[in-house]
Amino acid sequence: MIFWEIAKRNLRIHLLRSTLAMLGIVIGVVAIASMGILGNSLVLSVSDSLHTVGDSVIVSPYAGGGSGFGQGGGGGGSTSLKITDQQFQQIKRAVAPNIAIPVLQTADIMKLGVGSDTIVAPIYGINPDDVDKLLNLKAGSYSRSESGCLVGSKFADDHNVQVGSRISIGTDGDKGTLRVTGIIEERGISFDISTDSAIVVTQNWFDTTYNRNDYDTVVVKVNQGVDSAVVKTTIEKQMNKRDKVVSVMDSKATLATIFSAFGAVTTFVSAIGGISMIVAGVSIFNIMMMSVTERIKEIGIMRSIGTQKREVMSMFMYEAAILGIVGSVIGGVLSLIAGYAISALLLKTTKYLFVWSSATPIIEGVCFGIVISLACGIYPAWKAANLSPIEAMRHE
Amino acid sequence: MNEQPVMVFKDVVKVYPLPAGDVTALDGVSFRVDRGEFISIMGPSGSGKSTLLNLMGCLDTPTSGDIFISGTRIGDMSDTELTNLRRDRIGFIFQYFNLFPLLNIIENVTFPMMLKSQKAVDPEKGREVLRSVQLDDKLFSHTPTELSGGQQQRVAVARSLINNPDILLCDEPTGNLDSKTGDGIMDLMTELNRKGTTIIMVTHDAHIAEYSRRTVRIADGRIVA
Repeated sequence: MIFWEIAKRNLRIHLLRSTLAMLGIVIGVVAIASMGILGNSLVLSVSDSLHTVGDSVIVSPYAGGGSGFGQGGGGGGSTSLKITDQQFQQIKRAVAPNIAIPVLQTADIMKLGVGSDTIVAPIYGINPDDVDKLLNLKAGSYSRSESGCLVGSKFADDHNVQVGSRISIGTDGDKGTLRVTGIIEERGISFDISTDSAIVVTQNWFDTTYNRNDYDTVVVKVNQGVDSAVVKTTIEKQMNKRDKVVSVMDSKATLATIFSAFGAVTTFVSAIGGISMIVAGVSIFNIMMMSVTERIKEIGIMRSIGTQKREVMSMFMYEAAILGIVGSVIGGVLSLIAGYAISALLLKTTKYLFVWSSATPIIEGVCFGIVISLACGIYPAWKAANLSPIEAMRHE
Repeated sequence: MNEQPVMVFKDVVKVYPLPAGDVTALDGVSFRVDRGEFISIMGPSGSGKSTLLNLMGCLDTPTSGDIFISGTRIGDMSDTELTNLRRDRIGFIFQYFNLFPLLNIIENVTFPMMLKSQKAVDPEKGREVLRSVQLDDKLFSHTPTELSGGQQQRVAVARSLINNPDILLCDEPTGNLDSKTGDGIMDLMTELNRKGTTIIMVTHDAHIAEYSRRTVRIADGRIVA
């Protein structure tokens, strides 16, 4: 088609001008797409870190209530608010057949062998019957013996602890010495218990050592097919009938909130990229207007010898389309490179780059670039098409 | 046989409304152009020649009166219909050639053909017409700026003829050429007219007007002779 050919040739003879207009679109697409890729990689990265959370509901004492809970508790507890055994039984009955796991928590000083430095680390107490439902091991085995314990993978790495190592708890080991029977898989960030840098002991040992008969947290593992939000509501209805005595956190809902926040951040930074696209669009508009002004007489001649308005319009729209499509496609390719660089620099990994969800911001960026280019070409093209042939031919 | 005229003007008035007051460019112009005529239109600046040419070329419509091109009344036509009429029935030749600089000679000549057929056309037809206006084959792939004024005007003539129009409208066709080249173009026009092409030519040049077979003189928006 001759008008397509004219559009191509006009862009070619004004190569510098066309390239600069295209560059604007390239930058716009790269800005939008690379920000989108970064956001997506961030979400995937966090999602990976949180995958062990699964569907669980975490029940903790209500910090704002100040009544109705057992006070005091065992030594070393960081808060005086606890969940009593009676309350735990109520929760357990309310959520059945889902499993409720009571968790005790404190922090204490400990020593890892003769001559080693004294350290402070979190200690969790969990019933040996429940521990395998909550934690996976990467080495060793679960301990049923009160003198055994599990350690988190980071704890093991940081302190060179292996299965069979011994840990003395308390000042000079006054609370006893535990033998490491297993190393827990890395769990990353989690809402229930963070074991990576902690040790996990049996509930009995914890109760005896710290003189406890209550709990810090109850983790409810929600069975497959059960809505965690329903479990959360059930607990709240059961426990917070008169006063609010427990806080209940649905990990799934919390995750959704986190991802929603990431989504909002991604949208925001992409919108900032979108501003550069708008600027690029203005540049295209400007260049198209220049093109129309320069070619007014040519348009008049075309119209006088029988070119329809829509054909004149198509000629200019082809120019806008070429700028938009070529600029956007180049921008799409470059945004992959930019996304790679940003992911490598900020997330220290590029494993989330070559996944389908990372392609979405690129496709969106490319489409937006093309749409902006076409939109910015409409008015100049319309103006060219609606010039009076007589006036246009008089133009010098 | 009473053949239908190519063009008829019946009491045509053209008024331009301007802020300072209406300007009557044509005031009751009537004439007819029969097939095969070669007419020159002469008149001083501001006499209404350009307005007359714009109306004859369907680039404008009259304020009152009727214009018929090959029997078709143009007064009520839409922009699309007028554009199609220009494309199919009228050939234009301009003083400044007005070729498209982005297209080569063959593409320039076949441009109106492509508009008509809405698809790629056989360049052979363009070559034929270019040969008929005595343009060297070696120039066919050149761009207009690489040609002399006379050669460019021959290309413009070829472009105007490509769709076999009923009328050829020429606006000072030799106005931008030296006298020798201008005479060459006028010889070509005479030859085209001899073969049956109807030509209407606006000119200031009495020598060029002598090539035509009838001269229409216009002054103050009226035909005076």
